[in-house]
Amino acid sequence: MHNCNCENPLVPQIVEIVKIIDETPDVKTFHVRNENGVPFDVKPGQLAMVSLLPVGEGMFSVSWQEEKEHLQFAIRRVGLMTDELHSVGVGHKIGVRGPYGNGFPVEACQGKDMLFIAGGIGLAPLRSFIKYCLKHRADYGKIQVLYGARSYADLCFKDELFELWPKEKDTEVFTTLDRPEEGWDGHVGLIPSYLEELNPAPEGKVAVICGPPIMIKFALKSLEKMGYNDEQVITTLEMRMKCGIGKCGRCNIGSEYICLDGPVFNLAQLRKLPPEW
Amino acid sequence: MKVLNKNKLPAVFDKLAQQSELFVPLQKKEQSGFYSWKSFDQASDQLALDLLNVYLPPKQVLLPQTEKMYSFRQEEGGVAISEVYEESQARVIFGIRACDLQAINCLDQAFLTRGFVDEFYKARRDNTTIVASACYKPGANCFCSSMGVDPLEPAGADAIIRDTGTEYFIWEARTPAGEELSRQLAEFLEEKGLPLPQSQAFERQVDMEGVAEKLSQVFSSPLWEELSDACQTCGICTYLCPSCYCFDIQVKNQGEAGYRFRCWDSCMYGEYTMMAGGHNPRASATERFRNRFLHKLEFFNERYGMPLCTGCGRCIIACPAGIDISKIITAAKEAEWSA
Amino acid sequence: MDITGKIREIAARLLQNGEVDLFMAWEKGDLPFQSKPFFARRVEDVERIIFDEYSIHNLSNALLKFRDRQEKIGLVVKGCDSRGVVRLLEDGQIERERLYIVGVCCPGMKDPLQAMRDYSGFNRNPEAAPLAAKCENCIQPNPVIYDELLGEEQPPRVQGERFARVRELEQLSPDERYRFFEDILSRCIRCYACRQACVACNCRTCIFDETKPQWVGRETSISDNMMYHLVRASHMAGRCIECGECERVCPVNIPLMLINQKLIKDVDNFFGPYEAGMQYVEGAKPPLSVYQENDPDDFI
Repeated sequence: MHNCNCENPLVPQIVEIVKIIDETPDVKTFHVRNENGVPFDVKPGQLAMVSLLPVGEGMFSVSWQEEKEHLQFAIRRVGLMTDELHSVGVGHKIGVRGPYGNGFPVEACQGKDMLFIAGGIGLAPLRSFIKYCLKHRADYGKIQVLYGARSYADLCFKDELFELWPKEKDTEVFTTLDRPEEGWDGHVGLIPSYLEELNPAPEGKVAVICGPPIMIKFALKSLEKMGYNDEQVITTLEMRMKCGIGKCGRCNIGSEYICLDGPVFNLAQLRKLPPEW
Repeated sequence: MKVLNKNKLPAVFDKLAQQSELFVPLQKKEQSGFYSWKSFDQASDQLALDLLNVYLPPKQVLLPQTEKMYSFRQEEGGVAISEVYEESQARVIFGIRACDLQAINCLDQAFLTRGFVDEFYKARRDNTTIVASACYKPGANCFCSSMGVDPLEPAGADAIIRDTGTEYFIWEARTPAGEELSRQLAEFLEEKGLPLPQSQAFERQVDMEGVAEKLSQVFSSPLWEELSDACQTCGICTYLCPSCYCFDIQVKNQGEAGYRFRCWDSCMYGEYTMMAGGHNPRASATERFRNRFLHKLEFFNERYGMPLCTGCGRCIIACPAGIDISKIITAAKEAEWSA
Repeated sequence: MDITGKIREIAARLLQNGEVDLFMAWEKGDLPFQSKPFFARRVEDVERIIFDEYSIHNLSNALLKFRDRQEKIGLVVKGCDSRGVVRLLEDGQIERERLYIVGVCCPGMKDPLQAMRDYSGFNRNPEAAPLAAKCENCIQPNPVIYDELLGEEQPPRVQGERFARVRELEQLSPDERYRFFEDILSRCIRCYACRQACVACNCRTCIFDETKPQWVGRETSISDNMMYHLVRASHMAGRCIECGECERVCPVNIPLMLINQKLIKDVDNFFGPYEAGMQYVEGAKPPLSVYQENDPDDFI
């Protein structure tokens, strides 16, 4: 069964944008509050359909749930709906329906060391898991975050990356940029190669990856080389979605619907699916 | 046994249409499909119960080509949803064939099970009574029996009519809803003993044994390139198919108000899986072609325990490129390929 | 030697010495009226090739699948199909050097789709026309572009006035005309098969798939249906090569060529004399793709 708070899973609730943060030139984090409707109950890694009612809908991972009525979405401006969404201000009412999807296996990962690998906007879905681990710090071992983007301006959640997370207990953050940049004296290079440089040991670890498909594919190869087995590696996938509830057919990979059976899969499950993502 | 005189059908339909929206197979000028009895035009339409089947499938009744979902309006301080359109008035589908009814059974699986219930579909489905028409003369393109369908005992019917070849249908209620129809139609039903017609053999047979399993092994085979050569990804197969159900969700704006609606979509179209950033996992016709047949014959089976193809033959008739699903099945079975 | 034999010879030769990687023709299905497009890739495939009175498909449309690839392609074209090749060349969709065109002078085709519908049990009164509807008005049965030509030259088949049906409709009052089109376009199920079957519909992102803005809604309301067909027809104005595939494949039998023929007549009248795709001249463009100051505009 699902934890969606709705009578009709295709009809949204109306929420209000209460805060907007400019993360990068094309990514904004939207904080929304749902005062009057039924509260949300979102597991890390779950998704929700965000809509500008007169324009369209898009599926986004909930990058954190602050309280029962308060959700955060980090949304990149890339199409018709997100374009318009980026031009509205605080106070604007939008639609949200969900949550959908299977979410991350937060219980199964308890006691493990966590290695989070993300590229670009791919940090948004992982952020909910990272923050969950930090909120329940004692339940998890060492936390390592490896994150990269095209340029400094394209790094999301800079506050958390550089100020907050490195200060947490036994938590390391490694950031890399694709290309050298003036003012950046951090690591330069693509994520898969940085990953192999850092060479985090696989023992007792869970690796969680999200990013553009090409980055995921190369990172999976690197992890395999480094000795990670298929059950230790988790990823969250993306496909075009319309209904969000596994009915409209289009987000399938093989017989799995990414909106319903996913978006989170471990590598063992992924290998059984056709390579169409 | 109870029988129904065909000459009384217009009166029967008038009676049924008093309490529910009645859908019957009609030939309307150039096209045939399941239409509301209210739309019957004496001058130009013909009842099509005597035909093997109609081109436009009855899925239209439960999953309309275009269906309003909810309307909204801009108002003080923002936007609000005004109405949600769950259409739950009573419906009767009269004269559906076993293949099309099995397709509805498939749609029931897709829309009513696994995690979520599609409330729009459920509202229509819950109040729909189905009178199926047993099929004694399979057509040249029919292969429902190969797909686990019994044309003489349409599974899921509330009542069944059997064309005796005379001016009578035999009428058999199968469920309480069917019994209720028998009561409503009591004035039209007579008691008579009539021989059942002889059922004829299928010209077209397909061996589905092991097909789902085999398909899972031949995903990367070059056979898909050749099988899909002639396919123009025109989408006719998906629209005429009684069990294809992929839909798109879009919005219509009218000034300060608007509504979200859904409409049929096709996995054959180029932008079916096109993502906003430009990445398209199934950019080529071959990939989309392969996905369609795998969905029909393997994925749906894995998920719901039945194939999504019910052997109605419409795609074989209407495909401009001559693509034939029964040949695809055979080609897959015989393919020599190891991953 | 019959046409099939000659085509097989050519295909075998081209595949054998690597002049083409792919040869598009037809093969036979199980039933006598089933001919379907077939792409031979190996010399052994050649024996499956046929050409008969059911070889109606416009294979030039299939070239679009290969426009971004490198294969050299041989294909068999009839009169209308060859105009489709010119359409693609004029639109810059494929290079002439990649093609080996085998032209066949067409005696008129029968429609395998119609034959299949008649055979299926879904039609009460099988129609069994001697010739496919689209072939009855043929003005160009002989290929206009080819590397080899087979068959005897054929006369145009159009009987009486070419645009008779269009003129009939032109005589109707605006209200009557609207009702006529409302009637035929209300049954459109927006399957987009007409667009897919059309060789002139070759935009990489079709206008009907654009989102910013969305030009035509996807509902099957009469207004969206009319917009779809009128916009598509307008995009065909001066470009439609009259192969009639759109009308032939339509699953609900909409007489689409009526709209296209009206525009063919008008373009010829206002910007002509002009028939689309009748000859390939490098750099030539359809009349509505080129702006000239003295373009007629009194119909605006």
